Amino acid sequence: MKEYDVLIIGGGITGVGIARDCAMRGLRTILVERQDLTNGATGRNHGLLHSGARYAVADPDSAAECIKENRILRRIAANCVEPTGGLFVTLPGDDVGYAGTLMKACHRAGIDAKEIDPAEAIRLEPALNKSAVGAIKVPDASIDPFRLATANAVDARLHGATILTYHEVVQLLRENGSIVGARLRQLDSGEMVTVRAAVTVNAAGVWGQKIAGMADVPLTLLPSKGSLLIFGHRVAKMTLNRCRKPASADILVPGDVVSVLGTTSSKVSIEECDNIRVTSAEVDELLQEGCALAPILAQTRVLRAYAGVRPLYSASNDPTGRSVSRGITIIDHELSDGLHGFITATGGKLTTYRLMAEQVSDMVCQKLKIRRRCRTADKPLPGSEKDFFPAEGNLSRKAAAMRHGTRSSQMDFDSKSEVLCGCEHVTRAEIAYAVKNLDVHNLVELRRRTRVGMGTCQGSFCMGKVATALAEELGRPEDADRLVAQYVQERWKGIAPVCWGESLREAEYMRKLYRK
Amino acid sequence: MQEHNISENNFEQCLKCTICNSVCPMMAANPSYPGPKQAGPDGERYRIKDPRFFDLTLKYCLNCKRCEVACPSGVKVGDIIQIARLKYARQNHPLRDMALASTDLAGTLACKAAPGINGLVNSKPVRNILNAVGIDQRRAIPEYASETFVQWYEAHREEQAAYDRQLNYFHGCYANYNCPQLAKDLVAVMNACGYGVKLLEGERCCGVALISNGFGKQARKQARANIAAFDASEGPILTTSSTCTFTIRDEYSQVLGLDMHGNSERIEMAVKWLYSAVDQGTVKLAFKDGFKARMAYHTACHMSKLGWAVYSIGLLRMIPGLDLVVLDQECCGMAGTFGFKKENYNLSQKIGSKLFGSISTVAPDAVVTDCETCKWQIEQGTGLETLNPISVLARAIDVEKTKKLNNA
Amino acid sequence: MRCDVVIIGGGLAGLTAALELQRAGRRCVVVAGGMSLHETPRAAFIAAGGVFLRGDFVKRGEWKGSRLLRVWTRNLGSEPIEAKDFILATGRFFSKGLASTMDEIYEPIFGCDVRYDKDRSAWVNTDFFGPQPFEEFGVETDGCGHAMIHGVAAENLYAAGEILCDRKDIEQSALAVCRNII
Repeated sequence: MKEYDVLIIGGGITGVGIARDCAMRGLRTILVERQDLTNGATGRNHGLLHSGARYAVADPDSAAECIKENRILRRIAANCVEPTGGLFVTLPGDDVGYAGTLMKACHRAGIDAKEIDPAEAIRLEPALNKSAVGAIKVPDASIDPFRLATANAVDARLHGATILTYHEVVQLLRENGSIVGARLRQLDSGEMVTVRAAVTVNAAGVWGQKIAGMADVPLTLLPSKGSLLIFGHRVAKMTLNRCRKPASADILVPGDVVSVLGTTSSKVSIEECDNIRVTSAEVDELLQEGCALAPILAQTRVLRAYAGVRPLYSASNDPTGRSVSRGITIIDHELSDGLHGFITATGGKLTTYRLMAEQVSDMVCQKLKIRRRCRTADKPLPGSEKDFFPAEGNLSRKAAAMRHGTRSSQMDFDSKSEVLCGCEHVTRAEIAYAVKNLDVHNLVELRRRTRVGMGTCQGSFCMGKVATALAEELGRPEDADRLVAQYVQERWKGIAPVCWGESLREAEYMRKLYRK
Repeated sequence: MQEHNISENNFEQCLKCTICNSVCPMMAANPSYPGPKQAGPDGERYRIKDPRFFDLTLKYCLNCKRCEVACPSGVKVGDIIQIARLKYARQNHPLRDMALASTDLAGTLACKAAPGINGLVNSKPVRNILNAVGIDQRRAIPEYASETFVQWYEAHREEQAAYDRQLNYFHGCYANYNCPQLAKDLVAVMNACGYGVKLLEGERCCGVALISNGFGKQARKQARANIAAFDASEGPILTTSSTCTFTIRDEYSQVLGLDMHGNSERIEMAVKWLYSAVDQGTVKLAFKDGFKARMAYHTACHMSKLGWAVYSIGLLRMIPGLDLVVLDQECCGMAGTFGFKKENYNLSQKIGSKLFGSISTVAPDAVVTDCETCKWQIEQGTGLETLNPISVLARAIDVEKTKKLNNA
Repeated sequence: MRCDVVIIGGGLAGLTAALELQRAGRRCVVVAGGMSLHETPRAAFIAAGGVFLRGDFVKRGEWKGSRLLRVWTRNLGSEPIEAKDFILATGRFFSKGLASTMDEIYEPIFGCDVRYDKDRSAWVNTDFFGPQPFEEFGVETDGCGHAMIHGVAAENLYAAGEILCDRKDIEQSALAVCRNII
């Protein structure tokens, strides 16, 4: 049995970020994830690289952190980031004074915010509501959380880390007032694995409360559900925010070739977190607010609805949630509870994941009495080393370059050129690459790594063919039907809440093809 | 809130049923062409994000619109592709393409040099020059008339103006420069029905070749001139070419983005106008006793798009001596200027081969179709005389009897 | 254009009815959308003298009371088709025989009565492989296949095929309508 320096529990952006940082510092690193990477909040957010403007008024420290990380990620994760720029827009009926407040707060936090004429805003972003009365330009950007997490995982592995997906922690090992590792159960086989590590990091997001419970330390999280909608194409090319005290559905973000609108906010229990669904009321609320920002949304096809749960941390362990924080929270349980070898990383935002990972890795090194500097802000992530967009070549080669950057040059386009997912132009070559390098065992994971099934047909067209190809690449051709059945249920979950108009037509078609 | 979830961007209505791919004649013949689904809605979604996603293989689209006819979702697949080509494509053979697309200029010059030019054009040195410029050696070059239809009409203007009832005629390039007989047939048939024929002031080539070859600016210029000509006229505007008709009625607004000033409804193919008039009893036709022929009717792709083959077929079926066989809809492969180009000739013949086979099985005396480039392709591919339905009518009607029936 | 029966929709129901009626001596016009899949009945219909308008759609009709007089199609423009009887066989959502907004499911050409659940969240069963409520919605007819509009049976507009509620057999419903017409 191998001994590790650090065991990271949780395969979200926080976990893989820490794994990369620790591995780069030469630590013997292992990450364990109960399902697939990005299964939690990382795979269910806006895809917004905040400038920090949204938090500048209520949480200036968070805002300052955001803008610094924003600049860093644009540099090291260039393939995952699209520098769209953003607008904070005041609509008729909004508090006009808020814009001034926001401007001052941005400047104090070091965010380059510029007030512009509404006419200029509409010229920059034609999808914007023409009755906008004010606008502030900010350095928001769009970021793909799947690509970001994948790139971190790839880099962690390149630096020697081990990443185990589908391994659930069932017990934390405790010796002499210290957490020394964990017992894991492999999801399919039920096989038990023991991992020993000097330090264990709880980066399990909303499930971190359960992990803390295994260590017998109190951790109160207030899970907050957020629902979002995905529209069929890129409606706006800049991120659009409502210039008012943060409320529901104020953000529209361009995400590659779709638009993401969100988000709502409602309390849920920890138990509900594994099975959340978007409600009709949430869909109506999102559309109402979204159409105010960009009226064209009223005539844009809604592809799917999804929900994620924010792991909000209650600072004083107060279950009523009065002191809820969204900022980075790192708890050294040695200091707070007298338990050695156990750290919890919670709260925080996608935008500041690298900073949280740096702070956690610093703490891990300090406990191990190792002096190694953080280099994650200096070295580009795999795929982002340089701008990589082929000048010639067909559509699928270009699309693969958009998704994987320099890593797409490893794909065998010549012999596996068949396009399997038409909406997103994914070839067999890209699927084969994902199976070999990116931990893909089923269509859900394939979708996260390559965009298969994320197009307007939500998999109607390609599911059968892709499943056959994937099953062949996995060496289990008999599995194709099972892969389809699993995937179609997953896609259906997102289609059901928005099943009207074109999406109802697509649903009818999907049923005809796959209902058996 | 949400309207009918009818996307403002029409491409978003695509459900990926892929029926368009299954009817695309180019996709069946050419493995390099990714098909209408990818060239159209799939590609458009990516082109919106970044124009660098424009793919050069879009040049293979024939603009036959068979994808649009088949689409259950109403996606304007062909339009999406054409608009993208106009926006992003670079010209590879600008001189040759401009020459092929400038039908007014070519026609005017060639007719001045006709009939001599018709023989000259087929001489070896001239074919070599044409070949060097990119026009295939094997392609039969259409003949040019020594007197254009417009020139002929000038001599008959007063006589036409004398009729009590008038109809406008958009003659197009083919009936003006290559085959004035067709235009004369139209005049003869309408006169027999009691109508005089008027020409439009300042009619220009409809511009279909300019659009498909990427000359958007020139196409719009000519389109605007035609729209002004429509504005300056009154009453129905008849046509004898399915391609000109479809270009003016559909492409001007949907691809070129122009305002038709409500003129679309006025532009009708002569076969449609005539069929409706006979059906309603306002016009009567009488046919020659001795007229007997066996003909095969070919539905041109654009005619299928318009949905008006029913009128041509309906009119032809009125002729007692005509044994008419309606062929299954297949693309002939010419696609306007496409089939003239060296790099496309083989593909053009491959696409048309199924149609040629069907025609030879029917073994008609002649083929009937509403499109002039289909006519050229079929004549070259089968050796059979290929006529416009109006010309068949002109041959079949008994002019004197018809005039009497219509009190003309 | 005039005929005895206009069949709106060129799918299995439409073609079954059209072929049956054309063979029984009725002059039929089929206004078919673009898909045109059922080649054999279509070819048989045309061979029997039927008129098949491919790639066309009926946009609206003109009524006198509950009697439909004529319909206008997209391609034929200002010239309507007049007939004694009309059969609506336009299919379901995919072929746009039924349409939906966020709050409503409706029949887009004539506004025929559609049976459906007013609560949108009841349209879909979250288990993909389970029975789906939206697959049961559809146009209501009286016992003889007449389409219902505002609770009144249309005199000469019939509905057949997949457009009907409660998943009736496609060919049987078409043949039943033919029996009522003949």
